[in-house]
Amino acid sequence: MPIVLGTLLALVSIAVIAYPFLGSKRYRLVSETFVTREKLRAERLRIYRKITDLESDFTSGDLTDADYQLQRDQLRMSAAEILRQESGAKTTNSTRDEELEKEISRLREQTAQSPEGGDTLK
Amino acid sequence: MADLGVMALLLGLALSAYAAIGSVVGEKIGMAELVVSARRALYMTTLAVVIASGALINAFVQNDFSIRYVADHSNTLMDRAFVWVAFYAGNEGSLLYILLALALMSALSVWFAPKRLARSMPWTIAILAIIQLFYFVVLSFAANPFELLDTVPLDGRGINPLLTHTGMFSHPPMLMGGLIAITIPFAFVSGALIAGNYGDDWIDVARVSAILAWGVLGTGMLIGAWWAYTILGWGGYWAWDPIENVALMPWLVLTAFIHSIMVQKRRGMFRMWNVALLNIAFVLAQLGMFINRGGPVVSVHSFAASALGIIFLSFMIASLVFAFALFLWRMPQLKSDRAMESFVSREASFLINNFLFLSVMAVTLWGVLYPVFAEFARDISVSVSAPYFNRANGPVLLGIVVMMGIGPLLPWRKTSARSLKQWFVWPTLVGVLTIIVLVALGVQRPIAIFAFGVVAFVAASISEEWWRGTVARHRSGDNWPMAWWRLVNGNRPRHGGYIVHISILMLGLGIIGTNFYQQRTDGALALGESLVIDNYRIEYVDNGDESRPDRIAQWAEMSVYEISPEDYEQEKAFAAAQGSTGFTLKDSRLRENDKLIDQIRPWHGFYVDFNMASVRSGIRSTLVEDLYVIPRDFLADGRISLAVSINPLAWWLWASGPFFIIGTMVALWPQPAVERRPVRKRKLDDTEGEN
Repeated sequence: MPIVLGTLLALVSIAVIAYPFLGSKRYRLVSETFVTREKLRAERLRIYRKITDLESDFTSGDLTDADYQLQRDQLRMSAAEILRQESGAKTTNSTRDEELEKEISRLREQTAQSPEGGDTLK
Repeated sequence: MADLGVMALLLGLALSAYAAIGSVVGEKIGMAELVVSARRALYMTTLAVVIASGALINAFVQNDFSIRYVADHSNTLMDRAFVWVAFYAGNEGSLLYILLALALMSALSVWFAPKRLARSMPWTIAILAIIQLFYFVVLSFAANPFELLDTVPLDGRGINPLLTHTGMFSHPPMLMGGLIAITIPFAFVSGALIAGNYGDDWIDVARVSAILAWGVLGTGMLIGAWWAYTILGWGGYWAWDPIENVALMPWLVLTAFIHSIMVQKRRGMFRMWNVALLNIAFVLAQLGMFINRGGPVVSVHSFAASALGIIFLSFMIASLVFAFALFLWRMPQLKSDRAMESFVSREASFLINNFLFLSVMAVTLWGVLYPVFAEFARDISVSVSAPYFNRANGPVLLGIVVMMGIGPLLPWRKTSARSLKQWFVWPTLVGVLTIIVLVALGVQRPIAIFAFGVVAFVAASISEEWWRGTVARHRSGDNWPMAWWRLVNGNRPRHGGYIVHISILMLGLGIIGTNFYQQRTDGALALGESLVIDNYRIEYVDNGDESRPDRIAQWAEMSVYEISPEDYEQEKAFAAAQGSTGFTLKDSRLRENDKLIDQIRPWHGFYVDFNMASVRSGIRSTLVEDLYVIPRDFLADGRISLAVSINPLAWWLWASGPFFIIGTMVALWPQPAVERRPVRKRKLDDTEGEN
């Protein structure tokens, strides 16, 4: 019985590892585009998390107002830059800087208008 | 079942070799089918190890003494509950258990690996498969747990008596599992570096897997300390034994890592440092495996000693060369873009704590390796014992606790003088007040008093952090419990870390109490006689025999009385004049204020087949102190030889465990994704289509 079980295990293993070569499904290695897209998404989520942590630190009194504003703006700029990269927009350096400035101004305005003065990541 | 086990091991060997080669070749030649096939082979190795482990456990259940390992580590008298312990009671079984843990963790981590690491996964799989391959080779050819005996004995030798303890169900598997778990973050980071992925993509997987390994290892060490406290019969819980040390060292480095990885996450700094820390932790884990298996140093864990040393030494050296060659190769690309802005900042405090952790690790490493070097170089036998470790590590460990209080109060980047004044006043005041109160109460030992002050300082700093955050949230409308909950939930890694810090403080209380204020005495009592120590009178009231075919065992019944010192002034003064902390009383007459508070039943056994004594101490535990009674021997004249100690604050050592586990789980619990708009699930048409 143990020999039969062992043989069965070997046959199942061979079938499982041979399937990618024999099955009808076609495989492709992950493309650079896909990996880049995933990396950007992960980086953007990391920045969002950093902004949330920053808000938490600020609320708890760990940061001065000036430090909070500065770090938040830096993070938002990074997030905006990543969003732009994710959307695949191709811009020259100068127009990109202009657009980033616009984005920061828009976010600042939005913050000022927010009833609690809090941050939203919309 | 032996045949099935052997076949499963050989199959696993072939599969892991295929996974390692196929993964790399497939990636190099761009053959997706081969990469997928190799990954599947890695999953199948897990099935092979599960089946091999199942075959061995089944052999124990069936009392199949034709297998040498089963005959050596169990017998028909063994309680069936200990089959799980018997599985890893010896070298071969423990190696199989390690491989099982590694295979399961490898399969799970590869299955759940983030897609952004897809390009480096073939390298990660290859590293995991190579390490598994090593264990398959050792198990198949050097330490086969399925080796058959020429003559089948009627019964086995039985399980090592030291292992018949509740703690053994979790202590060894957690230590071995924790050590081997370090392979996972190491494989992911190394895979990323080989593939040329120098960014922070590996941060999350490395952090989570490192915290898991750290939590398991830490819990395993604590359970081991409890086991030593209750079964080894020496009244202590940590002896700086080499095997304890080889678990402690990677744990210390991982502790440094899980702090400094936060700096990388938050500030994008310390990337190179973090890679180096993981490499060191991995190599130290291999050192642990070598010392565990090879037995170059004497230890209470010598039941696992074997001649496998040279094999594990070679593997450790290969790991060291690989880890550091890879590090040196990729070092230029690992430099961080940012520099530290101020030395009065949270990142700087983390760096200091990292150096302190590494200092303790280095001192401990030297203590572990010195006897080996001494024997090799000068042919002399040397042992490095607890006083060296306590003296060298004690002040640094206290420094680490101080940093535990300072670090969380400092903001990231830089700290203003105003913040320093604002946040440090309260904790410092609490720390200083604690010292003043203790001195006023007449508590002795300046170093211990200072240490208590440090513990109070850190506790106050954590309270202040929680108070500040909770008040801020309460002001915005939450009720108090909800405000605290939201605070913790909002940043789980940070507040989980604080809960772990609380557990370390509890551990600290226990360590200070037992190291600085322990009282010990010993004596031999006839029935009806008592031993008096401090405020306790321990009367020997009864005894009995509990021998079995595999052991000669006796128990003693002791009545514990709380006494009033004034009733025993004369005897105490006499004992003190002779330099003793306790004394024996011949008469069983109770004094006016004696109050019966407990009955304890210590136990002493001798296992003939193992030529080994085993004791169960009688312990009366309270929040303030443990009364700890060790039955050394039942003498021929009917008396019992006892060693009795009072271990202040020992309870806190074990109470720290649940806090450590809860804190680790809070820190690990996934944070909700901060994406405040619905995420459209993209069709990933250019992926391989499977995990």
